[in-house]
Amino acid sequence: MDLIINLVERTGAKALAWWSSIYSVLSFLGEAFATLAMPATWNRATLDTIIKQIYFTAVQILHVYLIYVVVISWVIISITLSTARNVGLFDQATEMIIRVLVLELLPFLTALLIALRSGSAINTEVALMKVYNELDALAHCKVEPMRFEFLPRIAGGVASVLGLTIMGGVLTLLLAYLSIYGLSASGLYPFATTIASVFNMKVLLGLAVKCGFFGLAVTALPIAAGLETPKKPFMVPVSVLRGMMRVFLALVLIEVLSLALKYI
Amino acid sequence: MFADAKALADAIQDVSAETVACVSPDLPLRANLSARENIALIPLYQKSRRAAEASQQAQALLDKLGYASIGDKRDPDMTPAERFVAKIARALILNRQRLIIERPGSMLYDIPYPAFLRELSKRIDEGPARWEVFDFEWNKILYS
Repeated sequence: MDLIINLVERTGAKALAWWSSIYSVLSFLGEAFATLAMPATWNRATLDTIIKQIYFTAVQILHVYLIYVVVISWVIISITLSTARNVGLFDQATEMIIRVLVLELLPFLTALLIALRSGSAINTEVALMKVYNELDALAHCKVEPMRFEFLPRIAGGVASVLGLTIMGGVLTLLLAYLSIYGLSASGLYPFATTIASVFNMKVLLGLAVKCGFFGLAVTALPIAAGLETPKKPFMVPVSVLRGMMRVFLALVLIEVLSLALKYI
Repeated sequence: MFADAKALADAIQDVSAETVACVSPDLPLRANLSARENIALIPLYQKSRRAAEASQQAQALLDKLGYASIGDKRDPDMTPAERFVAKIARALILNRQRLIIERPGSMLYDIPYPAFLRELSKRIDEGPARWEVFDFEWNKILYS
């Protein structure tokens, strides 16, 4: 009997903890969107901070990201083309590359890269700000942390995932063309026709929404995890661990939902 | 005001944040910003000043306090006195009715701080006329 009570208690406590985390993330997002909708938010200072965040999140890693895209794309394009040739589906190779690489794999890997580089840094920084009362000091000075610290990071994260994915996608398409047709211009028409048939408005909108959710996941979840940190320095690593696990689960969930909506 | 730890904490809690600018060990500077940026945040966000103007205003205040050179320093690179001056400048730029310095001994632990506070207050002719110090009663003797 004790075993069952113990099990029920532990399950209940876990469920409550999960609900409390989900609630804190949702309430944080609600506050962020409410602040975003306020005209007072959109002043020069906020825009400057957003630009700074885009610089730190996307521009600083641009060269690394482009090399990473070239390597990954080249390997996957080569595998796809070789397999397509073996099974006699070479004509479908361009569409396969676009659907697998440009629409699914690249946005996911881009979000993962930003989560590992910037998401973990954001989580640590917010947790330290909470632990060392820096957020209280900002509040005392009537500088809202949401406007000054959090919203620019979220906006910068969303813009960075979207911008890097677009750049990576264009580079991948270029690599795909060169791998299939080489330097000849003869493939331009069929290649462009395939691109146009895959990238209809619905697909483009879906890709933008997915990148938006990825951007939110890699910034808002680490911030929310940082804000939950108790005021004890030794809890900072635990906060980062929790935050990054949530980011990973959210990225997988967004990707699975996006695939399910498209193909099931 | 001089009191024991509990009375001091209660007194600080009773103070209305709207009218008081506090310099406290519990209200640190933003660690990844320089002293000037920490001070400039207030005109930038509260008074919607342009970045250059806010920065100039912050630097002018540091100049007046006699610490022009700390503008580019971040919190970990500052000495306790420099960090304290940055906090004082941040409190002054808030332009509130009262300026309270809470437990100065824990921020200025390596200098004779009552004399340092007097010296700093003489350099400033704007903001609250009186700087209020909330300190432990056993430190009272240091001010005589």
